[in-house]
Amino acid sequence: MMLTTLIRRELLDNLMTFRFVVVFIIMLLLVVVNTSVLIKDYDRRLASYNSAVKSNHDQLLGTRTYSSGSFAVVRPPNLLSIFNAGLDKRLSNEIFVSYSFVPTLWDGQVHGSTNPLLNLFSSIDIVFIFEVVLSLMSLIFAYDALAGERERGTLRLVLTHPVSRGKILLAKYISAMICLLVPLLISLLLVVILLTTSTIVSLKVDDFLRIGGIVLSSIAYLSAFYFIGMLISVITRRTSTALMLAMFVWGFLVLVYPNVILVRITPAQPSQERLASAFNQIEQIWDEFERERKDFLANDPIPGEESHFGMQGGSGLFETWYKDKSSLLFSYVAASYINKLDDEFEPQVPHVQNYYRFIIPRKIDAAERTWLVRKQALESVYFRPAIVDRIFLRLSPVGMYDAATQAWAGTDLIGLRDFYEATRKYRRTVIDYFYDKNAFEDRKWFSPDKGSVDWNSLPQFSFQRSSVHINAMRALPDLLLLLMINVILFLVIFSVFQKSEV
Amino acid sequence: MIWHITKRELYDNLNSLRFALATVLILVLMLINAVIHVQEHPVRMQKYHDATTKSLNTLKSRTDLFSIAQEGPGNLYKKPSPLYFCAEGGDIFLSDYAYGIHRVQIANNLRAFWSLYYPGAFPNIFNIRPDTVKVDWGFVIGYVLSLIAILFTFDSISSERERGTLRLMLSNSVPRHTVLIGKFLGALVSISIPFTLAILMNLLVISTSRDIDLGADVWIRLCIIFIIAILYLCLFIALGLLVSSSVQNSVASLVILLLTWCVFVVFVPSTLASIASGFSNPMTYDEYFKRRNQNIKTLKEEYVALLQETRGLPDKKIQIDSEYVAKGTEQEERLSQEQLTQQIAQIELARSVTRISPVTLIQHLLEVFAGTGFERHQQFLENVQRYAREYREFVTDMDRADPDSLHIIGVREGMSKKPISPESIPAFEDEFSLNHDFNDAAIDLYLLILFFVVLMSGTYLRFISIEI
Repeated sequence: MMLTTLIRRELLDNLMTFRFVVVFIIMLLLVVVNTSVLIKDYDRRLASYNSAVKSNHDQLLGTRTYSSGSFAVVRPPNLLSIFNAGLDKRLSNEIFVSYSFVPTLWDGQVHGSTNPLLNLFSSIDIVFIFEVVLSLMSLIFAYDALAGERERGTLRLVLTHPVSRGKILLAKYISAMICLLVPLLISLLLVVILLTTSTIVSLKVDDFLRIGGIVLSSIAYLSAFYFIGMLISVITRRTSTALMLAMFVWGFLVLVYPNVILVRITPAQPSQERLASAFNQIEQIWDEFERERKDFLANDPIPGEESHFGMQGGSGLFETWYKDKSSLLFSYVAASYINKLDDEFEPQVPHVQNYYRFIIPRKIDAAERTWLVRKQALESVYFRPAIVDRIFLRLSPVGMYDAATQAWAGTDLIGLRDFYEATRKYRRTVIDYFYDKNAFEDRKWFSPDKGSVDWNSLPQFSFQRSSVHINAMRALPDLLLLLMINVILFLVIFSVFQKSEV
Repeated sequence: MIWHITKRELYDNLNSLRFALATVLILVLMLINAVIHVQEHPVRMQKYHDATTKSLNTLKSRTDLFSIAQEGPGNLYKKPSPLYFCAEGGDIFLSDYAYGIHRVQIANNLRAFWSLYYPGAFPNIFNIRPDTVKVDWGFVIGYVLSLIAILFTFDSISSERERGTLRLMLSNSVPRHTVLIGKFLGALVSISIPFTLAILMNLLVISTSRDIDLGADVWIRLCIIFIIAILYLCLFIALGLLVSSSVQNSVASLVILLLTWCVFVVFVPSTLASIASGFSNPMTYDEYFKRRNQNIKTLKEEYVALLQETRGLPDKKIQIDSEYVAKGTEQEERLSQEQLTQQIAQIELARSVTRISPVTLIQHLLEVFAGTGFERHQQFLENVQRYAREYREFVTDMDRADPDSLHIIGVREGMSKKPISPESIPAFEDEFSLNHDFNDAAIDLYLLILFFVVLMSGTYLRFISIEI
């Protein structure tokens, strides 16, 4: 069989080379060192997550009225952020859920942050190492695949045998891929071994499938760069030219393009008019709410004061307007807590209950209507530009690879949005719980003097990451793009090589 | 003779593909950099001016000494550097202000005076745009120029050896060091040409813009930055020559060089920084708030206990009030200072460890001379602290100057009631000076020169003992 002979020839050529050994060792070293650093970092984030969950739960159990219940939910760190950190370490990881506003990405905070100055140092992940080293390796393996043989005249020699040109290309490709896959797979194996042997991390079957997806994307990426190198090799006459061209292409695609493409000549300021008009709309919603509230109080048999009705008795009251024009947060958050109601206010209690029964569902309603406006505005002002940026990045194989691995790891923008979706769902759960308990018209809404709230029956928040097949669906477009580039490049190389003179 | 070899190298390079590609790449990057700066800098300056004016107006609107002493100077802003395009220096992660306000309530009618707080900057919490490195001179010099230096030198000796022309040249009774220096200069000049051209284009665009005006001081800084960039270029040319003369064939030489470049330029800074920052655990924000609340609680309890004893003794009460205002102010300031010190110590350690990478050195140097980044931030914090002392001295001086005052600072009744003219209140002006910068830059510059000398002498020894 001619093909196997060719492959064996190429393999021996490649495997014995100095470049192979050096690349192999450097790659292993980088991967091992960085994985241990990343695992340590994950460990710290997980500890911080656990303590935040505990302290939030304790805080909730410590509140004794419904209205003062605080439901802070925390985002667990993603284990696969070791492979590709994406947005996992960046975005807010703690968010307060309240019936009076629908939570979004912009309403969160950060727990367990130690030193904001640490952001001065960029952090690297496994995929970044592959991005840089694998692409370089592929090009170094590929640049002389054809130009070199042509220079030495061996190509002519091979072609005197009855072997088709396509087979020569295929043999070269297969053998080079085998050589390139060895360091890739061994270093990934090392990562997995390090992960499984560390005590804090527990990998599930799903995680192995996701890692499998990352491996698949890495192979496609590797092969795309090998083809780029081969294309350069087939169109240039001399190896030195091929090498120069390959290095500049690498520098451009890996180093320059991703950093330059997102530079907008006009500064990327969010569209202020869009935000302002949405803010106005939201303001109207709350004006209407306020009007309804005033009407209710005006028609009331007992002239009532503001929300607290002048009730006294070791009271705690928290009322505030949250207004933020850049994130369109607009909400009126109030919590009351009257430790021991004075006897003289006792006749007012049914009246207050009546008030809350009327006002809270309206507040929830206003919050929902605000969300409808807010969602659209935030989508168009913040999400769409971020998506467009990512599309521009995908014009280079580096961007596709990055996007695909982020999607597999679940650290991409869409994966992170799942968390905020879950917080919104949890808010509904809390509201349903309130309705279920008739909480608004309950005395426990504002005073714990006749028994305090038992929060144990409230379902706890838990965030389930999307299942593997959803990750796969999200990664598929980028993976397909990468494969398509592979196919196109191969076809171009093939047609050029068919016509080229030896 | 040196000049002869240099000229030959230069002609060789000028006609090559790599020269054309390098020129285009550097030129495009530098032009992009200039255009962005021209767009962004006026906006940045405007923002700074608006913010400082607002903060200053609030300050000057106070007329009595007590409220000046209690409320504090408000927000103090960092002045943006006109050389922002040279090195962005991670400035978005460094807070651009510090503030002096009062926050601590000791009792119902007693508040501690203002103290300094250092807010952290968390620009990434809400930022969903992809991560990119800013295209500044630091990027162009640190990454692109060093890569180009490697691509120009990897074959300068090994390929001549392969082709046998090196033997030919050396048989012409040319001393070896002359050949080496000739080659070195040839590479240096041929890379400097596109680089200088790009820098001139960049500065041309920036200096012709109407909204930006670069003073004499700024041009001196630019010259220093240019010299440092050339030094950095020399370092990588020396590295290229060293590897090129030690390895038999040019592909092996390139592979070694590229991997060295990848490791030292791309990976070492971040990896070492994360390892080094793992050694210390600065106070977290949760811890900070916990300790702060604890402090305030203790203070309140002490005060209430003492207050019981002073019932009916107004003179004594004033004394105690004043004492507790001072105490509260001091402990608040001490705590935020402690947190800041710990944070800075962690960064300092990580920064000194990463100095093993030349790209970190050049980034540090560019930051220092461009007036951005971490060193500059520390300078700003020093300025803020100096101003805080001045401000407090101003209050005591004004109080001392008034004979009617009881000189008990901390309580309204004990302090001067004379109106204060707004002009006399000290205003904060953030400044940076070149002298100071030289001190900060010393270690980095020294290390850069050291690396260069070591590599150059290595190359020399290697080339002398080479067998052809």
